[in-house]
Amino acid sequence: MYRIFFIFLFVGNVLLGQQSIDLQLMGHYNSTGIVRQIPDAFFYGGTIDSAAIDKSYESLKQRNNFGLLMGGYVIWKSPWKLPLAKDKLLAEYQWTFSIGAQQYTGLHFSKDAFGLLFKGGLPYLGDTLQLNPLLLESTSFSKVGIGLSNPSTASSILLNFVQVQNHFAARLNQATWFQDDQTAQISLDLDGTSNLGSPSLGFGLALDIDYRFGTDTEEEDEQEFQLLVQNLGAAYIPSHQSYALNGTMQLSAMPISWWQNKKLDELGQQILDSLGFEKKVQSSWILMPASILLAKRINEEPIKKIQAYYGAQMLLRQSYTPFVYAGAHIKAKQFWQTGVGLAYGGFGGLRAQAYSILKFNNKQLILRSDNITLHNGASLLIQFRCEF
Amino acid sequence: MQLSLKMYHMRLLKLFIIVLLLASCKKEGTQWQTQWLLPLVNDTLSLANYYNDSTLIQNAGQIEVNLTRQVLDLGLADLIKIPDTTISQSFQSNFTVNNVTPGFEFVNATKTHNLDLSDIQLKKVRIQNGQILLKIKNPLNTAVLFKIELPGVSLNNQPFVYTYTLAPGTIQQPTINTETISLAGYEIDLSGAQSLEYNKLQSKLTLQTDPNGPTVSLFNNQIFEFEALFKEIHLDYAKGYFGSQAMIANKQFTLPFMDKIVGGSLALPPMQMSIEISNGFKMALRAQIEQLTNTNAQGVSYSLSAPSIGPSMYLAPAIGTWNTLQPSTMLLTFDGNNSNLQNYVENLGAQQDIHYQIQPNPWGNTSAGNDEAFAHSRLKVKVNAQIPLALNADGLTLQDTFDLNITQDLNKSHVNAAKLIIDATNAFPLASDLVLYFLKNGQVWHTVIADAQLASAALGQIDPTDGLLKKKSTVQISLPQSVFIDLNDLDQVVVSAAFSTTDPNSGLAIDQAIQAGAFLALQMKLQLQTQIKP
Repeated sequence: MYRIFFIFLFVGNVLLGQQSIDLQLMGHYNSTGIVRQIPDAFFYGGTIDSAAIDKSYESLKQRNNFGLLMGGYVIWKSPWKLPLAKDKLLAEYQWTFSIGAQQYTGLHFSKDAFGLLFKGGLPYLGDTLQLNPLLLESTSFSKVGIGLSNPSTASSILLNFVQVQNHFAARLNQATWFQDDQTAQISLDLDGTSNLGSPSLGFGLALDIDYRFGTDTEEEDEQEFQLLVQNLGAAYIPSHQSYALNGTMQLSAMPISWWQNKKLDELGQQILDSLGFEKKVQSSWILMPASILLAKRINEEPIKKIQAYYGAQMLLRQSYTPFVYAGAHIKAKQFWQTGVGLAYGGFGGLRAQAYSILKFNNKQLILRSDNITLHNGASLLIQFRCEF
Repeated sequence: MQLSLKMYHMRLLKLFIIVLLLASCKKEGTQWQTQWLLPLVNDTLSLANYYNDSTLIQNAGQIEVNLTRQVLDLGLADLIKIPDTTISQSFQSNFTVNNVTPGFEFVNATKTHNLDLSDIQLKKVRIQNGQILLKIKNPLNTAVLFKIELPGVSLNNQPFVYTYTLAPGTIQQPTINTETISLAGYEIDLSGAQSLEYNKLQSKLTLQTDPNGPTVSLFNNQIFEFEALFKEIHLDYAKGYFGSQAMIANKQFTLPFMDKIVGGSLALPPMQMSIEISNGFKMALRAQIEQLTNTNAQGVSYSLSAPSIGPSMYLAPAIGTWNTLQPSTMLLTFDGNNSNLQNYVENLGAQQDIHYQIQPNPWGNTSAGNDEAFAHSRLKVKVNAQIPLALNADGLTLQDTFDLNITQDLNKSHVNAAKLIIDATNAFPLASDLVLYFLKNGQVWHTVIADAQLASAALGQIDPTDGLLKKKSTVQISLPQSVFIDLNDLDQVVVSAAFSTTDPNSGLAIDQAIQAGAFLALQMKLQLQTQIKP
C-alpha cells in the first residue's frame, strides 16, 4: 500500500505551487454513565474497585453508551496541479495524498448488563435482569488516499484504499437473566449474534470529502462552514467467524447421581446446546465508521476579539449518538487563539470542551479536548499544520 | 479566564505526557471482583428405594434391616469336573499282507480307556453340554472305511457310531480327517463291560478297504489311528462315588462404605442372624465354618464366636430322584445368647474373611457307589439377618478421598474464594460435622471446617404433614483464598463426616431408632468470588 502512495507521489505533471502538510492525532473515550476509573483501568491497567463500580452503576440509565475513537492521519497537499488548461474547471486543483489509521469501538448496553458483568449474579438474586439491548461494534483500519484539493477554498476530495485490521460486532436482541433466590436456579433467555473478523483480511474503499462553503473573502466577518465527510465507504471481509445464540437455558441443582456421572466439559456443551449455539465461517461487507461533520469554521483573522463556533457530527454507527458542540473563540494574542464551549452526544453526555491554536509563521499547532470537565472520559486532539 | 486557560493548557500537556509515557509502559492487568451463586445439588436421600428388595421392612413405624443373602450356591458342575480327555486307538500290522482285496475288513478291535478323575468313581453320567473332536488317519493307498463305536456312549439308547470313508494316503503323508460332534444329551456308562467298574470308557475300531478300490498291500509300517478328544464336558447327572476330597476355601470380601469409617463408635440393638445350609446332592456332606473375622479401617480385627463356628457339621444325603428331590437342610442360629454377633457387627469391619470347608462323603464310600447328583442339585448357604435399624453413633466418622484435578491460571480470570452452602432437612436422628482436607502428595495442606453442625432430627419437631420428626439447618463451608492459590498443586480432597446420635437434653450419644420414611433433603449451592481479568 505504501508503495502505491510513493508511486503517486512522483507521477503527474509538476507545477510548482503552495503545498501543506497536516498531521492529526486524536483519541477520545467517553461514556454516558461509567466513571472514568473503569475505562482507565482497561487502557492503563489496574484494579477496578467496588466503589467505582457502584458509582457507575448508580449513574447509569437503562440504556447507556461507551465508546472509543482514536487514530491519526497525515495529509499532504502537494504543489502538483492537474495538467489542464487554466480555464478548465479543475485546473487549479492540487494532487493531495493521505495516510492514516483509526480505531472505533462503541458499546451500547443496559444497566443490568453492566451490573451482571461487574458485580456478578449474587447481588441480583430474585431479580429479572434485562441484558438487552447490547450492541458492541469495534473496527480498526488503516487507509491510504489520493485526491484533489482546491488551494483557494481548502476543499478537497480523497479516495482511500482501506485495509481492515479487525472487526468485531455483537448484538443481543433479547436477553434476560433470572436467578431464583431460594434455589439459585438460573434461567437465561438469549437471542443474539456476533461476528469476529479475521485480522488483516478485510479491504475496501472510502471517500474523504472536505467541502468549505459560505466564504466570501471580500468581507472579513463572513461566516465560513465546513462539511467534512470521512471514511464514507465499505469493506469486504472474505472470512470471519459468525456465532449465533437463540434459546433458553435453565441451570438448576441436580441429584447427586447426576454429578457422579457428569463431566464438566459435557455440562458446558449441554449449556451451549440449550442456547442454540451455532458457529459458522462466512464473508460479509461492512460499512466503514463514516463521520459527517457540519461546522462553522473559525475565522483565523478575525476583526472581533470573540467569535462563536458551533457544529454537529454524526457517525454511521448505532452506538454513537449525534455529537453537537458550541462555544466562544477568543483571539488572545496574535500567535495564540483559544476557545471554550460545551459538547453533548457522541459516547457521552454534556461536558466542556476547549482548544488552543498556536501560530508561528507558516506553522500552526492545535491542541483540543472535548472533555475538559463534567466528563466520564478523556479526549485529546493534536493537529499540526505546515504550509510551505 | 486567563488563569483557567493556563490551567487547562497545563492539564492538556500533562495528559499528553501521561499518554506518551503509558504507551511505552507495560501495563498492569485490568481486574475486578464479582460474586456468583451456582446451584449444585438438589436431592433427597432416603431409604425408600430399599423397602421392596427385602433389604428394609417397616415395622411399627420403625425400619428393620431384613438381610437375606445367598452366600454359596454350588451345582454339579462345581462338584464334579471332567477334565478334557483324549482317548485313542490304533492298528499296525505285524507283517506285510499282500493282495488285500477291495471291501476287506482288516481291523475289528475293542479297547477300554480309564478316565482320570482322582478319587471320584463315576458309573454313569449325562452330558449337559460338551463335544467330541474326532481325528482319523489313513496311510493306505486305497480308501478306508473307518467305523468308530463308543459302546457306553448313547443318545436315546442309540450307541455312538461314527463312520467315514477316508481317501487314500501314504505312509509319509497319511490322509487325515477331523470332525467335531456335539455330545449334548448323551449318556455315558462308565461301569465297563461287566457293569461292575467305574471311570471306564470303551471304544471299538473297525477298518475296511474300499469295496470299489484296487487290491493293495498292507505293510507293517502303516499305522491306522483315531483320536477322540472329549472337550468342555459339563454334566447334568452323575452317579457313582463322588469322592471325599474336601474343598477348603478362604474367601474375602469388602462391605461397601464400611471401609470409609475411620473413627468413632457405633452401638446397635440386639440382633439375630441365621445361616441355612441346604444339600441337594444324594451324598453325605460335612461343612465347617472354621473362622469368620472382620477387620475395620483402623486395622482392628474381630472374630465371630459361636458353638457352630469351628466344629464340623454333618448333613444327610438328599432324598428322591429327578422330580422328587428333597435336599437335606441345617439351620445355624446366632444371637446374643449364643454368640458375640452384636460386637462383631459393631466392630464395623469392612474386610470380611471367612474360612470354611465342605467335604462330600466324610465317611467314605458308604453308598457303595450310589451317590447321585441331578441337574438341579445345589449346595446352598443362605444368611438371614433381621436387625432393627436403630443405632447409637458417637463421632462415627465416615471419610472418603476424591481426586482433585482442577487448575486455574491466576493471571487470568479465576476464583478467589468460595463458600459451599448446604441447606438440609434431616429426618434421621444423626447429627453430622463436616470437614474437608485438601491434600498435596498425601500431606494435608488445608483444613476447612463447616461453620455449623448438620442438625439431627432429634432437635426438630414433628411435621404434621407427614408425621416425621425433622430439623432444618444451614451449613456453610468457606474455602479461603489460600486454597485457591494452592489449587493447582492440590491433588486430593478428603471429605470427612462425623455422625452422632446425640440426646438433645444430655448431649450424650444415645440409641436412636430410624423413623419409617426418614430422609435427608439436601440443597447445595456454591458461592464464588471471582477475580475477572479480561
